[in-house]
Amino acid sequence: MLLTFLLLTLIAIFGHFEDFLGTTLLSRPLVLGPLVGLVLGDVSQGVMIGATLELIFMGNIKVGAAIPPDIITGGVLGTAFAILAHKGPAIALALAVPISILAELVISALFVFRAVFNKKFNQYAQDGDYKSIQRLHILSGLLKPVLMGIIVFISLEVGATAIKSFLDLIPAWVQSGLQVAGNMLPALGFALLMNLMFNKKVAPYFFLGFILAAFLKLPVIAIGGLGVIIALIVTQAPPKSAAANDDFDFDDAPTEALPVQNQHKLSKGILRAIFFRSLTLEANFNFETWQNTGFAFSIIPALKKLYHTQETMTLALKRHLQLFNTSPYGSTLIIGITAAMEEQNTTDANFDEDSISSVKLGLMGPLAGVFDSLFWGTFKVIAAGVGTSLAIKGNILGPILFMLIFNIPHLLLRYHLTFIGYNTGTKFLQNLAQNNVMDRLTAGASILGLMVVGAMPATLMNIKTPLSMGGGASSVQVQVILDQVVPAIIPLALTFLVFYFVKKQVKTTWLLLGLLALGFAGSIIHLFV
Amino acid sequence: MIKLTRIDDRLVHGQVAFTWTPAISADCLVVANDKVAQDEFMKMTLGLAKPASTRLIIKSLADAATFINDARAQQMKILLIVNSVKDASVMANTIAEIKSINFGGIRTKEDSKPISKAIALTDEDITIIKEMLANGLELEVRQVPTDKKVLIETLI
Repeated sequence: MLLTFLLLTLIAIFGHFEDFLGTTLLSRPLVLGPLVGLVLGDVSQGVMIGATLELIFMGNIKVGAAIPPDIITGGVLGTAFAILAHKGPAIALALAVPISILAELVISALFVFRAVFNKKFNQYAQDGDYKSIQRLHILSGLLKPVLMGIIVFISLEVGATAIKSFLDLIPAWVQSGLQVAGNMLPALGFALLMNLMFNKKVAPYFFLGFILAAFLKLPVIAIGGLGVIIALIVTQAPPKSAAANDDFDFDDAPTEALPVQNQHKLSKGILRAIFFRSLTLEANFNFETWQNTGFAFSIIPALKKLYHTQETMTLALKRHLQLFNTSPYGSTLIIGITAAMEEQNTTDANFDEDSISSVKLGLMGPLAGVFDSLFWGTFKVIAAGVGTSLAIKGNILGPILFMLIFNIPHLLLRYHLTFIGYNTGTKFLQNLAQNNVMDRLTAGASILGLMVVGAMPATLMNIKTPLSMGGGASSVQVQVILDQVVPAIIPLALTFLVFYFVKKQVKTTWLLLGLLALGFAGSIIHLFV
Repeated sequence: MIKLTRIDDRLVHGQVAFTWTPAISADCLVVANDKVAQDEFMKMTLGLAKPASTRLIIKSLADAATFINDARAQQMKILLIVNSVKDASVMANTIAEIKSINFGGIRTKEDSKPISKAIALTDEDITIIKEMLANGLELEVRQVPTDKKVLIETLI
């Protein structure tokens, strides 16, 4: 058992290593679930539990400094306890939800604590000692995987037997109640996603996705493909220029971007090093200066090449230990632009050093908005839609496609943005702004994302009613009638019900509890199965 | 009509574009800032972060107040963003409609102290806050709409 526990602990540590590996979503339950299943000798159960948890935590995302429940710890422990006790996804979920909420508190505390190191970082910067900065960035980054690993190991060691005997005591009606509630909870994930994308303009695409899935039974991957085609067609129309907004006084496209005169002192190898180092951007995240040491760590190869005296190195290091926070997926664009400006600083005597910080800080917020919505709102949604629809049936291709669909565009874009940022500076952004590329991109992305979200209630939620009308031989199953009119009407209605409350800004925890209660009650009075 | 007035020193970014705008169904983001209104580069970068379904208007504090007080702005669902406590109080004094201010994010500066995860205040800020509280404004701290509303008087 000790070996098993150690392996499970390693899985949790691997999940937390995501901070070093580019926020590539390898920490998601859909990926870690199968690994837990592998260790415990039941891969397909692991895949299914992973898919169930993924659905429920679908809207569980990290935007800015707002920290969501720690689904790594909750998912690994919940999945492991459930498989060890020979129970299904419902039990895994009942354990994972509270555990991940508790684990989040530990992580928040760690993010507060890490700020203590900032003094140390600044001392190293003062000495121009970039090597120590690199070392401390990594060491402090390791705290999270190690700390959470220890917590997982202790929980397994202490809890496994106790939880198994506790789970054996759970009566059958509670189990079936949990089952129904578990099938309802994805409605919360879908509603949270809808909240990000749904508005009157794009609402039809949600229903298009739903109809394709519910009536035509198209798989999610086909709906995603159709979504891409429709998004391309719709956004091809020449964009309305800003001036077409006839009512009063709309600020026009800007005129001039900062010129970057680039002498290409930095080699491809250095830029590649910047890209690879940027994967650790979030490793030392803390609540005071956020991703600052990750930024410094990423740009150090350029600084090494450009600055040869301690004095200049000190100034540069200090500049890049300032607060920083952006979407990791687009971070290399800012780092590339910054590297170009640092180079200009060494060649142009009139260059204003302060402009480096102001461009960096000016870009981080807006670009976070762009890349967070593109990746969380579109790529993640499609990847999870395709991945969970396969994985929920126990198909191992689910998690694999999930990783590929998200990370191929992510890593390609992130790699190239390093070079684009360095080579074209802010000119690239100027072009984007002038051609309304962003408007078209976000419009296309929300069409695509919403079509896939629309397909989800029909393909990924399994809620039916066992009610029947009339008695004896002539009784009619209500579900049969419903299926003839609108298949999957119950999941759709439930999703909209939750969406309504999300819009009313009811807290997620309350919605979670509400759905649990509804599931239990529905199961007991035989309204839902 | 103003749906939300927010203090956020990053102005328009992920939390604003991605959680607040849909939560309050805003169709117009107004950034009120004297410096940014003069800065073409900043205007451009803020334009990139704008959600597709909304308009973005960047104005000086005085112009932003004129804009919002205009009768035509009543038809819009406005999310007003400023980047400091001081600017927020200027807006609250010139726009009668503002009854509540959301404290979203103010990063730590040399002379400021953190009062919550995302908010750090200087002594000057606190003086202004006390004035605003005395004027009956609701001042609440939330990064994203699903956070619990925490009233600022419980934190300072």
